[in-house]
Amino acid sequence: MKINVQMPKAIKLGIKIKNENHMIICGLSFLTVIIFITLLGPFIVPNDPLSANMSERLASPSVTYPLGTDHMGRCIFSRLVIGAQATLGITGLVVASVVMIGIPIGLVTGYIGGRIDSVIMRLVDGLLALPEFILAITIAGFLGPSLINLMISIVFVKWIGYTRVVRGIVILERNKDYVSAAKVSGSSNWKIIRRHLLPQIISPVLVLAALDIGKVILIISSLSYLGLGAQPPAPEWGAMLNDGRPYFQTVPELMIYPGLAIFFVVLSFNLIGEGLRDKLDVKRH
Amino acid sequence: MEATIEKQIKNAGDLVHTAEESLLEIEDLTITIDSVKKDLVKQIDLSIKAGEMLGLVGESGSGKSLTATALLGLLPSSLQITGGTIRLGNHQITSLSEKEMRQVRGKEIAYVSQNYQSFFTPFIKIGKQFVEVIQSHSPTKKSEAKKIVRYWLNKVNLPADRVFNSYPFQLSGGQLQRAAIACAILLRPRLIIADEPTTALDVLTGEKILDLLRGLQKELNCAILLITHDLKHVMNRSDEIAIMYGGQILERGRTCDVYQNPAHPYTRLLFQSRLQLSKEVTKELRTIYGEPGLIAEKGCPFARRCPYVFEACNEIPQIKTVSDAHWVACHAAN
Amino acid sequence: MLFIIRKRLFQLFIVLLVLSIFTFTLMKLAPGDPVLTILNADEMLVTEEDQAKLRSDLGFDQPLYVQYGKWMLNLAQLDLGKSYMTGKPVWDELMERLQITIELTTFALFIMISIAIPLGVLAAINAGRWPDQVSRILALIGASIPNFWLGLILIYLFTFKLQILPSSGIGSYSHIILPAFTLGFTFAVVYARLLRAGLLQSMSEDFILAGRARGLKEWRILWIHAFRAAILPVITVFGLSIGSFLGGAVVVEILFSWPGLGSLAVEAIFNRDYPVIQGYVLLTGIFVVIVNLLVDLSYYVIDPRINRKEEAL
Ligand SMILES: Nc1ncnc2c1ncn2[C@@H]1O[C@H](COP(=O)(O)OP(=O)(O)O)[C@@H](O)[C@H]1O
Ligand code: SF4
Ligand SMILES: [Mg+2]
Repeated sequence: MKINVQMPKAIKLGIKIKNENHMIICGLSFLTVIIFITLLGPFIVPNDPLSANMSERLASPSVTYPLGTDHMGRCIFSRLVIGAQATLGITGLVVASVVMIGIPIGLVTGYIGGRIDSVIMRLVDGLLALPEFILAITIAGFLGPSLINLMISIVFVKWIGYTRVVRGIVILERNKDYVSAAKVSGSSNWKIIRRHLLPQIISPVLVLAALDIGKVILIISSLSYLGLGAQPPAPEWGAMLNDGRPYFQTVPELMIYPGLAIFFVVLSFNLIGEGLRDKLDVKRH
Repeated sequence: MEATIEKQIKNAGDLVHTAEESLLEIEDLTITIDSVKKDLVKQIDLSIKAGEMLGLVGESGSGKSLTATALLGLLPSSLQITGGTIRLGNHQITSLSEKEMRQVRGKEIAYVSQNYQSFFTPFIKIGKQFVEVIQSHSPTKKSEAKKIVRYWLNKVNLPADRVFNSYPFQLSGGQLQRAAIACAILLRPRLIIADEPTTALDVLTGEKILDLLRGLQKELNCAILLITHDLKHVMNRSDEIAIMYGGQILERGRTCDVYQNPAHPYTRLLFQSRLQLSKEVTKELRTIYGEPGLIAEKGCPFARRCPYVFEACNEIPQIKTVSDAHWVACHAAN
Repeated sequence: MLFIIRKRLFQLFIVLLVLSIFTFTLMKLAPGDPVLTILNADEMLVTEEDQAKLRSDLGFDQPLYVQYGKWMLNLAQLDLGKSYMTGKPVWDELMERLQITIELTTFALFIMISIAIPLGVLAAINAGRWPDQVSRILALIGASIPNFWLGLILIYLFTFKLQILPSSGIGSYSHIILPAFTLGFTFAVVYARLLRAGLLQSMSEDFILAGRARGLKEWRILWIHAFRAAILPVITVFGLSIGSFLGGAVVVEILFSWPGLGSLAVEAIFNRDYPVIQGYVLLTGIFVVIVNLLVDLSYYVIDPRINRKEEAL
């Protein structure tokens, strides 16, 4: 019953994961395979992901349809592969926009400080009281269900997190001696931000982004599942799950494959994110 | 109630005083880091007679706390006793089961630590923690237990009622250390291990705490292992002293013998630095060569700082008898 | 204590202000004409006059700030307007559904705690050994699995294959098990890791060694002396992530046809029933602030030091 204070030595996850490096490597290799398939998608899919063929609906796997067909006779495998483009593409775009918006605002508000900073942060706090997911469905709801609105709503919700992290670090660093020294020696504000503050925020933002990609994928697929994201017949994983819902008692494959796809993509990003966090020693926020 | 406790104390005192045999016997104790097979404590011998005080002196990192934790059977799992025996009365501590050992802790061996701020669990009232100790060792009614606690809190000159109902963070350092001592003597253990009980206190408070310990030891006739890095803490108080360095005992004996005739170069330097300090000699004077903690991997641990070092010092020195009940481990000693 | 309540009340005020402006703005930005929505829902023949009348009834012909001011005044009297769809007061509908959602979330919380605590403690006691690794893998899975998919799999297994639990509806305990587990599980495994980390931290404190040296039994050391310090970070994170919990509840409610607040909100979104959406958003905001107040207050219960420190201020 005695608790021994020591680090866990190794975990076995099929592959032996010994430390953060192994986690990162494991995540990266999953991801490489996924990205490879995604990029090659259009060249390797056996069928048109959108062409319905009602005479072949809900078919079991065959040479023509490696994973069978869905309720409209569309090739599940082709839809999965092409769907990866949608899911990963949207996610990439969303996370990139979030970083591009969040970092500058965080840098500026943190660096300037004072009234403006505290007013902005108060307002942001007020907005943050609303759960991300609920904020996103609200925006998606008001603007109407569509992929673009979904992306807008996630970006609108997510930039705040980055602003906060960046601002926190900038405020910490702002008052340190080396920044004052740079100021005294006549460096411009812009130079101080670029030379001294920007490098400090890279690793926390990297970790945050890696962990966020997984979350964004989950939000996108949840919203699509609710019907607020990708609209039929687009092959998006969450939407595919939604499509398959009425049939999954008899053909559970319709939900198993897209779900597994989401799971593995998110898992690889989480492995990378967690690994990076341990490796770069970034504290939890 | 108080009268009964007083009486018990008297009786116990009379009983134990007749026993000349040592209460605690450590023989050849070796503690090793499991993973790298490095010995942190090497084949040490120590003994404490019932009702006496042993001062274990050594600089920081010399293995004093490890020795204390080993006595309590609480070494972290990464460390292991790889040799030697520890006997307390008729318990062979090294071969007790975890359950038996738990009954020994607190009841027969008590512990007072350097870190008084983290001696009691921070969010439980002191009184409750005392009662918990009593009830963990024998089924006692709460009211009964409370009376015992009050008695001992008074005994260490604390305002019993206030302390009983206080959280640890509401007491001062000196008060906490007193409370810790009260908690240690609560079950009238035969041995108290006090691991640098004054290091984190200011000098005056520290002296008072040590005097309190010494007084209680006399009154209750329990043995004390007083661990310290400061020779002057134990010079006038302990019956015996042992000097530890690099996980080994370099010299041990009756305090007066060691004081009058220090046999080990390290001990001599310790005394010398003490004298010089008391005479306020210039601060430039480096009293002990080399950096503290500079430990030779092989042979005599003090070799890298010893002014008398010679070839033979590559071997671990045998323990030699200086006089009756006075031992030293040095090739140069005679 | 009072200080923290004051702070949270102030926060509540800000939150309500921001959220009201936010939803009001969104409503005005939203495409489509709510007047037409309402009239369509009533399936009447719509004339220009009808439209104009409704528009002025709803005050939509007045300047925006007047509309906002009126809306806020009503809000202060808990009058959130009427649902475009049902015509019932939004407040009443929200309260009706709130109860059902609270049932689900309470039960999910219960499941969460009864998974997280044993798992976290086991992982800590066996740090580095197989129970620890199992909990670590579970946490990785929990953080990576879409919870609606987990729900789907559970429905497939327990409703279709084993046929022991219903997949939708409310009424009995058997109805609540699947949705509550779906909602609780993904959080439970992550909290178990936090608890493990907290326990390893507190078990390495000096007061634990001191407690052992006093001969306390190991279960007392664990549950009474170490656990309390270890649970604080878990509660903190719970307060921070109550939002995702509520978000998860929306998806789970839809998945299991659970007629709570989340279902109401999603229905309202599809029907463009803006007053209901607004009401839902505000209510959720209040809920989050209240939970965080409870979290703050729990610190005082768990760690007496916090209280005294503030008194000293
Ligand atoms: N759990 C541990 N693992 C590895 N080394 C340890 C551990 N505890 C103590 N040590 C090492 O053992 C030596 C003796 O430590 P300690 O007994 O605490 O010294 P001190 O005499 O100051 O009380 C130190 O060098 C310390 O680094
Ligand atoms: S054994 Fe050698 S090195 Fe060690 S103290 Fe004696 S003389 Fe010095
Ligand atoms: Mg020590």
